[in-house]
Amino acid sequence: MSAPLHHVIIGSGSAGFGAATTLRQNDDDCRITMITMDSLPFYNRYDLPQVFHGQHDWRELLDVPPAYYDDMRIALRRRSRVVDVDGTNQLVTLAHQESVAYDRLLVCAGGRGYLPENLTGFAGLMHGFGSFEAAMRLYRDLPKGGTAIIIGGDMIGIDLAMTLLDTGYKVSLIATPQTFWPHEVSDEERTQLFAAMTARGITVHKDHRPVGVSRKDAGKSRCCVTLDDGTEVAGDVVLPFCGLTSSVEFMLKAEVDIERGLLVTPELQTSNKTIWAAGDVCQIWRDQEKAYHFYHGWKNVRVMGELAARNMTGTHEVFDTDVEDRIAVDANGQISSTFWTH
Amino acid sequence: MMNKAGTDIQIAICGSAGDGTIASGDIMKRAAALMGYNVIAFDEYPPEIRGFGKCISRIRISSKQAYSLKEQSDVLISLNDSHAIPHAREVRDFGAVIYDDNLVSAVAEGGHMSAHINAAQVPYGFAIRQMSEQATNAARARNIVVLGYLAGLYDLPPEHFREIIKAKFAKKPQAVIDDNTKAFDAGLVAGQAVFKLDDVVVGAAGDEATGSKAVMMTGNGAVVRGFMEAEIQSYFGYPITPATSIMERLAVEMPPKGGNFLQTEDEISAIAAAIGAGYTGSRAATATSGPGLALMAEMLGLGVMAEVPVVVVVSQRGGPSTGLPTKTEQSDLNLAVFGGSGDAQRIVLAPTNVEGCYRCAGMAFDIAETYQTPVILLIDLYLSNRYETVVPSDEASFAPKPRIDVVADENAPYKRFAFTENHISPRALPGQAGLMHTITGLEHNELGRPNDAIHMDMSTKRHEKLNSAVHFPGLNVSKRFGDEGPVDVGILGWGSSFGEVLETMYEAQAEGIRCAAMKVVMLSPLPIEALKEFFADCREILVPELNYEGQFASLVSGALGKPVTRLNRATGSPMVVNEILEEVRRLSGQNQTPLSAAE
Repeated sequence: MSAPLHHVIIGSGSAGFGAATTLRQNDDDCRITMITMDSLPFYNRYDLPQVFHGQHDWRELLDVPPAYYDDMRIALRRRSRVVDVDGTNQLVTLAHQESVAYDRLLVCAGGRGYLPENLTGFAGLMHGFGSFEAAMRLYRDLPKGGTAIIIGGDMIGIDLAMTLLDTGYKVSLIATPQTFWPHEVSDEERTQLFAAMTARGITVHKDHRPVGVSRKDAGKSRCCVTLDDGTEVAGDVVLPFCGLTSSVEFMLKAEVDIERGLLVTPELQTSNKTIWAAGDVCQIWRDQEKAYHFYHGWKNVRVMGELAARNMTGTHEVFDTDVEDRIAVDANGQISSTFWTH
Repeated sequence: MMNKAGTDIQIAICGSAGDGTIASGDIMKRAAALMGYNVIAFDEYPPEIRGFGKCISRIRISSKQAYSLKEQSDVLISLNDSHAIPHAREVRDFGAVIYDDNLVSAVAEGGHMSAHINAAQVPYGFAIRQMSEQATNAARARNIVVLGYLAGLYDLPPEHFREIIKAKFAKKPQAVIDDNTKAFDAGLVAGQAVFKLDDVVVGAAGDEATGSKAVMMTGNGAVVRGFMEAEIQSYFGYPITPATSIMERLAVEMPPKGGNFLQTEDEISAIAAAIGAGYTGSRAATATSGPGLALMAEMLGLGVMAEVPVVVVVSQRGGPSTGLPTKTEQSDLNLAVFGGSGDAQRIVLAPTNVEGCYRCAGMAFDIAETYQTPVILLIDLYLSNRYETVVPSDEASFAPKPRIDVVADENAPYKRFAFTENHISPRALPGQAGLMHTITGLEHNELGRPNDAIHMDMSTKRHEKLNSAVHFPGLNVSKRFGDEGPVDVGILGWGSSFGEVLETMYEAQAEGIRCAAMKVVMLSPLPIEALKEFFADCREILVPELNYEGQFASLVSGALGKPVTRLNRATGSPMVVNEILEEVRRLSGQNQTPLSAAE
């Protein structure tokens, strides 16, 4: 009798969580280890704006109660950063100097917030929104009725901007090429969307790029973003929302093909036969176009995780999606994205 | 700032011998006491004097009076994952686990704490070793770094920690104080920067705060304090865990006050010398553990037979033989109450908490002198080493009381063992003019001269004189808690485990079970009348204790001729409230977990 397989999943977002559940459903004997840098069990990041509606107990955000992990025999390794994957010896090395052996590896590490190169030096003056803790820090630091300056304005940022407006805050948006990411919008659509934003109460700065951020201890506004024409946009917090860039650095020794993300077959398998990938970290081959594509949005990501898990346990399903790439404005001026609607 | 909510949290610090685990726990509990909290703390350490065994310090900090450690901790700090990992499961849901996430050497798969924190617990990993090295150029201040982190995370006043650190290292070079303060401050900054995700609440000290009058002491420390206030004059001892610290402390405190202190070559010498000193009128004591008491048994018989006052502290540990030297147990009750040859009844007191240790130790000499017999103070490792905040009473006075001198009668020989109405004979000290007498281990007559024909009468005298001890002024030989009148379950407890009994009773009451608890401090002679009343009120009697046989249950059941339900635990660890509570539920007929607890 062979030993149970050890499936290791890097990442605990929608893809990773969906994969873990699917793995258990398909293989009752296997070991499942989920490794994540997050402090919390799985919750939907799209729900983070709820902190501005008073949702301050992270337990209320969880998709499943913590006991679920014990029930499903999923070992959850939180606050654990993967620094290296050895694809030959099938070892995942963690930053705290522990190596975890795997039989099959699924990488669902997602992406981290992208910041235009000219702004990276100002990162310390900006707020993040990638985790519950970051969201709560933002809530704590943004005074009631205060102004949030959003640089870029990808769909995560726009979703947050709508919530901030609904809860009595003010928003200034400084457009960049990443505005509306991951949607690719035409100039005409862009104009319409900015108009809708303005109508909703967002102050839009669409003609000049941000070049600097400063913080002041004195004065009414604590933060200031300088544009390339010298204009200063004042507010209380600065939030960069410029899309995501795949987290793949730890995969450089894994003997897998990498471009901007991990390159995978339509079955979500990398060039290493023991490694799969799902979610924002991977680019999937599209045979029709002979090219690799990212597929964004929670529905795609979740489907990818579940499909990869099934393929890891023996099936050969091909990823396909019916999620349209569409951004729309409703009668109330609310901007919605097919990727973000949930 | 600390909020107004009440506080009841338990912090466990676990590491290897040499990691400073116990020192870290010591600073934590003293700082908490300084903040005005009630504190109960207990350290576990390995039997080996040197080596890398596991140390764990558990500290319960509460606004209201607590009576025992909790089964689950709210916070676990790991200074050594290989030792701390088994304790991760002791952390309650939504509690915190603090560990080093920046190790200097590789660990085997599963060898890091992060692999053992369940999804309901909150992980706080940070670079403990690195922070210590940056602050002090050495890794050995890790135990102080984590205290700073704790203070930062839970917004505890750092000045109290700094004060205790300064006091703790006061005899070291200033650089040691500075380094430890730096290490604390580095941890503090790191803790303050962390977003707190657990639901551990550290509120104000509360109305029942002990305040600045509180003194933090162990059971052994309380015994020493009681002895000193009782003006102990002679101590003879031989070191043995867990009683040694009594001897060590008295060795420091007695000589400056004119006391006689001698470390003897063994336990037999110690008790013999103590009895000899007691015979001369000196307030004399010794302290030992189970194996030492076994050696002392024969000489204790002499104390009983010769009617000599002496105090013997017995701190129990796991047995028999060398047993479990650093683990607790309540298995020397039979030896304390019955040990020795012949019918040798003696007085046995078993305090249930640190303050009780102080009071019983303080009163033990008076009791021994009143009844002219050995008094055994029966505690155990859990109580000996347990720290509690105690507010000393200004009323207590254990100083020797003037006793009525025996007056020599020229017309009649002095009868050292005279039959009297209360069976207590007039006691003269050796050397008093006209009061020359004989004492012996042989059965004797009133004059003290060997005489076996009088054995029945003398046995009666030696037993009957103790009967009134249960009414000794100022001594609570037993006390009932909880519901008055008839109850479904009565829990009878003694010694260190009574804290868990009391906590259980309050939890049972909260579940709607009619419940009462009684602590029995005097194990010999037993407070029979109080026990009878308690038994009469209780439909079921439960006796939890830390031994395999149920020695107290047998003692009480035999004395009253009534059945009891035993809950015996011999694991080397303190009693567990949930185990007692489960039994209380079963006995009460409410053996299902209430909905509120199951949800």
